[in-house]
Amino acid sequence: MTDFLQLAFAGLSVGAVYALIGIGFVAIFTVSEVINLAQGEFAALSGLIAISAVASGLPLPVAVLVAVASVAVVALLMERLTIAPVKRMTTLTSIILTLGVSTALKAVMLIVWGPNSQGLEAFPGENVTVLGVSIRSQELWILGITAVVAVAVIWFYEQTGWGKALKACAEQPTAARLVGISLARASMLSFLIAGVTGAIAGVAASPVYFTSWDSGLAIGLKGFVAATLGGLVSVRGAVLGGLALGVLESLVAGYVDTGLRDAVAFVVLVVVLVVRPSGVFTRQAVARV
Amino acid sequence: MRLLPSRRSDLIGFGVLIVVLAVFPLLAPPSWVNVGVYALIYAIAAIGLTLLMGLAGQVSLGQASFFAIGAYTQAILVTRYDWSGITAAVVAVVLASLAAFVLGLALLRLRGHYLALGTLGLGIIITVLATESEFTGGTSGIFGIPKPEFNNRTYNSPSEYFWLLVPVVVIGLLVARNIVSSRIGRALGAVNDSEVAAETLGVDTFRLRLQVFTLSAAYAGVAGVFFAHWLAVVNPNAANFPLSVKFLLISVLGGLGTVWGAVIGAFLVEFLDESMSTFIPQVIPGATGEVELLGFGVVLVLLVILLPGGLHQAWQLAVGRIVGRGGGADEAAAAPTARPDPDDSPLFARAGRSEPGSTLLEVRGLTKHFGGVVAVDDIDLEVRTGQILALIGPNGAGKTTCFNMVSGVLTPTSGTVRLAGKRIDGRKPHTFARARATRTFQNLQVFGSMTVLGNVMVGRFLRSRAAMLRGALYFPARAEEAQIARSAYDVVEMVGLGAEARRQATDLPFGRQRLMEVARALATEPDLLLLDEPMAGLSRTERRELALLLRRLRAGGMAIVLVEHDVEAVLALADQVAVLDDGRLIALGTPDEIRNDPAVVAAYLGVDEDDSEAAEAVREMTGGSGGQS
Repeated sequence: MTDFLQLAFAGLSVGAVYALIGIGFVAIFTVSEVINLAQGEFAALSGLIAISAVASGLPLPVAVLVAVASVAVVALLMERLTIAPVKRMTTLTSIILTLGVSTALKAVMLIVWGPNSQGLEAFPGENVTVLGVSIRSQELWILGITAVVAVAVIWFYEQTGWGKALKACAEQPTAARLVGISLARASMLSFLIAGVTGAIAGVAASPVYFTSWDSGLAIGLKGFVAATLGGLVSVRGAVLGGLALGVLESLVAGYVDTGLRDAVAFVVLVVVLVVRPSGVFTRQAVARV
Repeated sequence: MRLLPSRRSDLIGFGVLIVVLAVFPLLAPPSWVNVGVYALIYAIAAIGLTLLMGLAGQVSLGQASFFAIGAYTQAILVTRYDWSGITAAVVAVVLASLAAFVLGLALLRLRGHYLALGTLGLGIIITVLATESEFTGGTSGIFGIPKPEFNNRTYNSPSEYFWLLVPVVVIGLLVARNIVSSRIGRALGAVNDSEVAAETLGVDTFRLRLQVFTLSAAYAGVAGVFFAHWLAVVNPNAANFPLSVKFLLISVLGGLGTVWGAVIGAFLVEFLDESMSTFIPQVIPGATGEVELLGFGVVLVLLVILLPGGLHQAWQLAVGRIVGRGGGADEAAAAPTARPDPDDSPLFARAGRSEPGSTLLEVRGLTKHFGGVVAVDDIDLEVRTGQILALIGPNGAGKTTCFNMVSGVLTPTSGTVRLAGKRIDGRKPHTFARARATRTFQNLQVFGSMTVLGNVMVGRFLRSRAAMLRGALYFPARAEEAQIARSAYDVVEMVGLGAEARRQATDLPFGRQRLMEVARALATEPDLLLLDEPMAGLSRTERRELALLLRRLRAGGMAIVLVEHDVEAVLALADQVAVLDDGRLIALGTPDEIRNDPAVVAAYLGVDEDDSEAAEAVREMTGGSGGQS
């Protein structure tokens, strides 16, 4: 039982990271139907920037802010320089474009930070043991941060004018244009949200899961699976999906074989898409396929 | 970004390519030949990917997975079980294709994002499995794969291996190019322009995409086999994501508009790769590994933004003909059988149709809700063989929604649709087409990348048979291609578009595009034809001719359902008229009955029946309209 709880908790914590990445996928997809393959790189980049900032003597909170702000700028630049100039965005184009950006970001990270994995300094706090389950303070930070970010994002979409405007763009682009919501601005805003959530995931995860130039690939795919569990359009669904995926992975790694951890996400992806492509953690089964 | 078969430039391309490849090992320095071997191997995989992206409009981020499956299978069978290279290769390629088939079965029904991410995931899984499994030799992989040997000749120098690869690449290119210009290629090109229109002409999108995806994996498998023999080692890197990205870059750089671009793309990317992995470590000390990724990423982004058609586009710009030619237009010109027909003799009569007057289409309780809105509410309709039924009603009455449900574009919330006794509601449009029924669209669904004739040739999809294999071999399918072009041309003539047959479809005025859609639908030789506002945008003469055409089709035994705003034209033409208002069927009867139905008139005028002034207006209208006809 303790084993199970231990594994489940570890899974929740890693799942929270997937959830944050998943939110980024949802934010961009709902506005422009683009799957941003550089989403994982946002996280890797922010982790590495924070590590360097700390190494250069900045206090941790400042380093985190610097990292998140830098990645937000990168996300906006990406939108302005690569997404905005394309007139007719097809699925094919969007995938190739964002893949190109993701690949270029990876290479920049490799050149600047080298090939080794590094970890950010842990956030302050004591590790604790509850019911025999040892809990690292960083894991609590991850869960807490994810909860705050998820609530904030949901609040933004459901309570603020800007958030509602973004939703309107997603559901009725023509109508949104008619009432004066600029798609260009909505697209920028969606990339900003994706950049910030991705960057937060990156800095929160780095102390436990480490960061390297290529860690964005796996984390990006898993974030995508989390988003898929929410039908790619639901922030709540992506959060629940991320947590569920994390727990499942952790259980498979613990009870079956550690090596199979990375295979879980893919199997979940295929099963979900075959059985219920509109998402598992969505209220209505309206397939937007 | 799509494939436009253009015969002449293809032939020039092939000629140049063969000569260049043949002399390359003689002229290039040895180190270049070595790079060239990799370029050819990767080109094979990239040709497959170009087919997938250009033809099926789908992206694979895991082309390296199938490459790795091919390479590992070959390595294991040859080194552990002493199979001969050829037999092992067959198994290797089949396994790679099989993997794609299974994955495609799961993911190709969905939108393009899912196949992309699914194949990305497959790459990760294969890397994980290959690394974890003892059977595949873990991280170090499988060693000692011998160089191939035929007739006591071992192909072990770069030049010899290069020459061994040239015929494989050329055959691979020919097959790919033939498929692109075949019936299957044309259908998939249509899908890329308008999936719904292609489906209503009988194209089973999912099935064709699955075939292309499977084939593209076979290409990757072949490449993997040659890779294993050349490198003599296969390790988990073969399924690596950067390799998949490299394949993608090769395809995009070469241009998705042509298959042979993949070969040129492969050489460029390999030399770029080679120079960067020596150059970058000199500039940035300590940079090792996948530094070439930087170049890949930047080139990909620049390409999509600046030159989305890749080198193929650059070539076409240079040669000065951006406008592609439609598939098969050449044969058609040779066989125009002009058909002067001022008569009203029956058209498209077909043995095997049910008795005139028997029920062909039966709709019961058809209902559609969109969220809380009831768009169509409990409609019953019957359409009989050799009858024209007109569906009229104000805007937003649910006419097009009805069409969409009957033709399988939408699934009804409830109710049934039977065609010739068989239930078809909720089935995809190609099922509808296979049951010899098709439709046109109110908002045009023209295949913009094709000529008028090309559009109508897609309509012959179900009346022709050449499958992928025959298309790939070209010659067996050639006679049928000419036949398709000829019969398509006949239909084009019939609607009066003969002079415009070879024009790009989107260059036509809207009214003519509508006529082309009618021709395209007729080319399927349907028993049931649904026309959504076919008269809109037509001139007076064109309307008269279309009405005559519809009468002749009816005389031939076709059943026609017509949605039309021109009420007078409809009442003059139809046998039965159904009036929809606000999703409900408010009247059904002969034109005369409808003309005098107060509910109908009220619906059109939007007034209450007991309003005396309005009633007066209604009386005037019915009287007036009766007199005009």
